[in-house]
Amino acid sequence: MSIFSLMSLGPDGWGLAMLAAAGVTLSVAACGFVIGSVIGAFVAWVKLSGGALARAAADAYTTVLRGIPDLLIIYLFYFGGSALLSSIAALFGPGGFVGVSGFAAGAAAIGIISGAYQSEVFRGAYTALSRGEIEAAKSVGMHRALLFRRIIAPQVLRYAIPGLGNVWQLALKESALVSVTGLVELLRQSAIGAGSTREPFSFYLAAAVLYLAITTVSSWGFRRAESYSMRGVRRT
Amino acid sequence: MTLLSTPAVSIRDLRKSFGALEVLRGISLSAAEGQVISILGSSGSGKSTMLRCINMLETPDAGEIAIGGEVIALRKGRRGRTEPADRAQVDRIRSRVAMVFQSFNLWSHMTVLENVIEAPIHVQKRPRAECIEEAEALLAKVGIVDKRNHYPAHLSGGQQQRAAIARALAMKPKLMLFDEPTSALDPELVGEVLRVMRSLAEEGRTMLVVTHEMGFARDVSSRVVFLHKGMVEEDGPPGEVFIAPTSPRFRQFISEHH
Amino acid sequence: MIDAAFMGETFLKLLEGLPLTLKLTFSSVSLGLLVAMLLAAMRLSGVWLLDGFARGYVFVFRGTPLLVQIFLIYYGLGQFRPELQAMNLWGFFREPYWCALLALTLNTAAYVSEILRGGLQSVPLGQIEAARACGMSQFLLYRRIIAPIAFRQALPGYGNEIILMVKATSLASIITMMEVTGIAHKLISQTFRAIEIFICAGAIYLILNFLVTRAIQALEHRLSPHLRQAPVPAQRLEPAMSSGDDR
Repeated sequence: MSIFSLMSLGPDGWGLAMLAAAGVTLSVAACGFVIGSVIGAFVAWVKLSGGALARAAADAYTTVLRGIPDLLIIYLFYFGGSALLSSIAALFGPGGFVGVSGFAAGAAAIGIISGAYQSEVFRGAYTALSRGEIEAAKSVGMHRALLFRRIIAPQVLRYAIPGLGNVWQLALKESALVSVTGLVELLRQSAIGAGSTREPFSFYLAAAVLYLAITTVSSWGFRRAESYSMRGVRRT
Repeated sequence: MTLLSTPAVSIRDLRKSFGALEVLRGISLSAAEGQVISILGSSGSGKSTMLRCINMLETPDAGEIAIGGEVIALRKGRRGRTEPADRAQVDRIRSRVAMVFQSFNLWSHMTVLENVIEAPIHVQKRPRAECIEEAEALLAKVGIVDKRNHYPAHLSGGQQQRAAIARALAMKPKLMLFDEPTSALDPELVGEVLRVMRSLAEEGRTMLVVTHEMGFARDVSSRVVFLHKGMVEEDGPPGEVFIAPTSPRFRQFISEHH
Repeated sequence: MIDAAFMGETFLKLLEGLPLTLKLTFSSVSLGLLVAMLLAAMRLSGVWLLDGFARGYVFVFRGTPLLVQIFLIYYGLGQFRPELQAMNLWGFFREPYWCALLALTLNTAAYVSEILRGGLQSVPLGQIEAARACGMSQFLLYRRIIAPIAFRQALPGYGNEIILMVKATSLASIITMMEVTGIAHKLISQTFRAIEIFICAGAIYLILNFLVTRAIQALEHRLSPHLRQAPVPAQRLEPAMSSGDDR
């Protein structure tokens, strides 16, 4: 059977299942990325303004998370999370084994990993801010919250866009590892198709093409966002 | 000027050190409403630091600053350093005192018009339409209304500084501080900024101008203050101090800056 | 809560996987460097076809997850078993070790070729012209001037890539290789003590990556005497990245 009929969107093809799985890939990566943004912003804030102890903890977090294989972290969240839930459930009576959903473990793992990278992106972007523009904002009487909302946040975001684009690509590719939890995302769906049709090459090739499409479209999107946000900085 | 009117700004025995370096060593100065004071001095004399203390971009170590009669409350903070006692008061005072910086410091992510309306809308909470109308009038006044939708990076230095002056004016300030507004400009762009400042002086605005432009000090200002090593060395109307300086250091300064 | 005896035992068991982790890292990093040099040369060759191929290669390998590449080679090529057997290649593609090594090598080559290209393009034109002016041949120019400068420039990025490869070898465990992560997974499914096992395995990778970082730093230090011996003491360098508005 040719790869095109195999991947057709009709009732006999695997096309729709693969597209749906690509949707799961996107969702788990996006949830992880958003969790990572929250963690990253908080950790960057600690690194920039925390006490010595808090800063050391923040640095340790980034060093450790960037030095350990992502797969191990996914195992930790999936198996460790299940063990934790089971022991909590045991407190309320004999419940037996309670599993964490692959989606939740995956999103949490991607979140905590990409948080480490995003904290560095945000910190770098903050240090790129012009001190003078912040002083100008103070000189017109902006209080801290307003200064942050109107001047600091938009500019940090602007400088952070290229770095965030890279982290998003990492999150997308990490999401393939979440297949080890049994979550039916793109890679897992391909393995299922490969097993039942005995055409593994066709399925993994289709998966590769879909990943490539997602990464290409998103890097185009980030480039657009960057050029839009930099409209006031570079000459057009 | 009468004795009864409150001075726009009055400074008493202002002191400030950076580490071991004593930059301000007891400065007292007061400006009546409508006065234009040029503050002269060689680099390191403390003139910029004094200006930055007035709107609390630097916190003085000791002394008292009053804006329109309202004394800025200070207190001893942790590690014995002074800090503003009331942040809300500082913000309120800053919104009445406008500052023009040497390096313009326009917000680079906003257009010229957005820069001008930012503080009136978000700090003073005035209606947007009214702010835009006023901003356009101000931009016309400084001669760059045609650039209102440009970003700062696309403007010349002189245009950026005029935009920064419009931004300062939009706050309807009681007092305007100029921190070497022409020092970062190419010589051929200095004139356009000085012309705008002269017209503001002629409107009777209260201005404190740290500058190296002797022509502006002589012709536009109503008073000249010369700082030396963190203290007031000469103080008087330009007609007097330029003709008969009492301080030998100021005499030397004039001869060097002609 | 944490059982020291269990941790010690786990640590020793995990160390049994270390040789395989190191072997995969070392082989893929060195083979990947060779492929990367070839790709970078193609990119800079000026020949449309070679440049286009290298571009496409980098695009595909950087745009898809490594795990997909591993699966495509290990499971996917099984679809062509008769053909591969006819070419006497099946012995290679049947082995998870060779498939993992091939995928890791091809993957890292794509990233390293871009790092090398960046290094080569950072060599100042003036220094190249100066070398030409004193009569250096193209080969001598590359060997004496361009390669040393480019290598020094590319080193920090290359160090990061090595660390990524140390971590990436863990994916070989998914196709049954018993390196450190593979053993960790086996132990977790036997004991369900994920946290302790994670700490032990994580420590091994952290130590490994710490050593890599240190080695790269030492090499960087050795290769940059010109940046060390500043003739004027206490000369302050402006930060490389300053905001455009602080004029």
